[in-house]
Amino acid sequence: MSDVIVEVEGVSKRFGEVNAVDDFSFSVERGQVYGLLGPNGAGKSTTLRMIMGLERPNHGVARLFGSPVTPSCSQLARVGAIVEQAAFVPHLSGMRNLRLWWTAGGAHMRDADLEHALAIADLGDAIHRKVKTYSQGMKQRLGFARLLLGRPELLVLDEPTNGLDPGEIREIRELIGRLTHQGATVLLSSHHLSEVEQVCSHALVMNHGRLVTSGTVSDLVGTTKSVYIEVDDRAAAHALLSRMPIVSNVQSQGDGLVMVMGDGRRSDVADALFHAGIRVETLMATQRLEDAFLDLLAAGDGAGDEPVAAQVPS
Amino acid sequence: MIALIRTEFTKAASRTRSLVIALLLIGLPTLIVVAINARQDRPRRDNGEGLFRLASQSGLLVPAAVLSATSGFLLIVIAGTLAGDSVASDASWGNLRYVLMRPVSRVRLLLSKAFVAGVLIWAATILVTLAALVAGLILFGAHDVTVPGIGGLVGGFNLSGGALALRVLIATGYVAFGFSALLAIGTLFSTITDTAASAIGATVGVYIVSEILDSISQLGQVRYAFPTHYFDAWETMFTDNTYSREMVVGIVVQVAYVVVVGAAAVALFNRKDIRS
Repeated sequence: MSDVIVEVEGVSKRFGEVNAVDDFSFSVERGQVYGLLGPNGAGKSTTLRMIMGLERPNHGVARLFGSPVTPSCSQLARVGAIVEQAAFVPHLSGMRNLRLWWTAGGAHMRDADLEHALAIADLGDAIHRKVKTYSQGMKQRLGFARLLLGRPELLVLDEPTNGLDPGEIREIRELIGRLTHQGATVLLSSHHLSEVEQVCSHALVMNHGRLVTSGTVSDLVGTTKSVYIEVDDRAAAHALLSRMPIVSNVQSQGDGLVMVMGDGRRSDVADALFHAGIRVETLMATQRLEDAFLDLLAAGDGAGDEPVAAQVPS
Repeated sequence: MIALIRTEFTKAASRTRSLVIALLLIGLPTLIVVAINARQDRPRRDNGEGLFRLASQSGLLVPAAVLSATSGFLLIVIAGTLAGDSVASDASWGNLRYVLMRPVSRVRLLLSKAFVAGVLIWAATILVTLAALVAGLILFGAHDVTVPGIGGLVGGFNLSGGALALRVLIATGYVAFGFSALLAIGTLFSTITDTAASAIGATVGVYIVSEILDSISQLGQVRYAFPTHYFDAWETMFTDNTYSREMVVGIVVQVAYVVVVGAAAVALFNRKDIRS
């Protein structure tokens, strides 16, 4: 049985003349830590809001745990979410907010995982202070405590480090890291590429409301064109690679060579070097996700309205 | 539903604003009673108008005078604040989306918020009445009231203490119920905007416009549909010794507003994209 937790199928959402999300599809399987990447206005938050039943798609369907999402649907009990910034009733304490939020749906506090949630938030005595006295980082940590009260199977995190200072960002990333190591399925939207690279196993890139590409993070990085190699005979390798039509701009870098791949695969380069009797020590994509992301967006913009990249197999 | 109501009540009642409103509703009637007491020593013809002219006869009549003075604006502003704030405050805090990311029915949530706002509006009306009653009884005691005739053409009448108490009770209920349309309108506006101040302003604005238009007699029967048209119908219990038929019509108009505007609010909120 396929264990698809989130499934978005052909979803579109318009706001007046603006296509916020346009025929967008993707899915997240149990245990995946899935990054949703895109520039501001790409449609990430709108997509997450549709998944959480806050907005209705004009077309298509979003499913959670196999059932279509509707406002207030029962599957939401299995999801913990932070959409944009964590927000609370400001004149109530952190603890009061947690209790009121949990019991509002008719649940009993004894069923909440309060101890674990408070440990995660790590707010100490501040949990009894009014939320309006909290820093944004404290609110985000309280937001994590709130989403963990129900022992969710899926965490939906929309820009969870937005507006935080570097120290708070580090705290929140470590928190996400701890949760993912505990086996949570996570859908994380961010435009902090290093965050996605550090935390996520899979990612997709969206722009102008459409899918640009998706796959494992290493595949996405691997789709980039800059390749670094280390060989036992650098001069011979440089000469060989310079003659290969699928390779250009071969340059020395440190102990190895850097080149730009054209239409071809890294394995073609490895084969050529092997058949020339050159031992390959290292062959890897040199770009980080940030470079790949920018390349993909640039390619997407150049291709007009059509999605530019085929789905990268995961 | 009970859990939602408890949650909404805690959120609304624990605000500093609620305490300020309560103090205002206790303090203002007290000031009015002190003012009435000061005026009763003046020459008869300078003893105020309508219910205020009679109020110094008995502390049991003071609540009616205070309701008459406050229901035209102060209670409208307070009721508009409570109704207009109901959904929009959560939205302005950004908290609404978190409430709705749980399996909580939007209809139930809206009804809970409206119910709590309604309870607080009733509490405000009762509080102002009680404050006036206590202050009135302390300063004027509990006596029968003699309402004089007009120019000798229309006979006067007496109201016993028991009759006064009963009529004050009815007046309080009528005034509180008279805010039902405002509650529905405020709740509707509260679902439309994510800014509490806008919802409150629009709600109070509708009532002020309604009162202004209602004072233009050339508008004829159109005025009968205004939510404020029958607002003062209860005063005839004290000034004319009659239970006006207009009170019944006023109740029907309020119910009609609740049904129509309330249904619109529910439909709108149920389909709304939550972007705050």
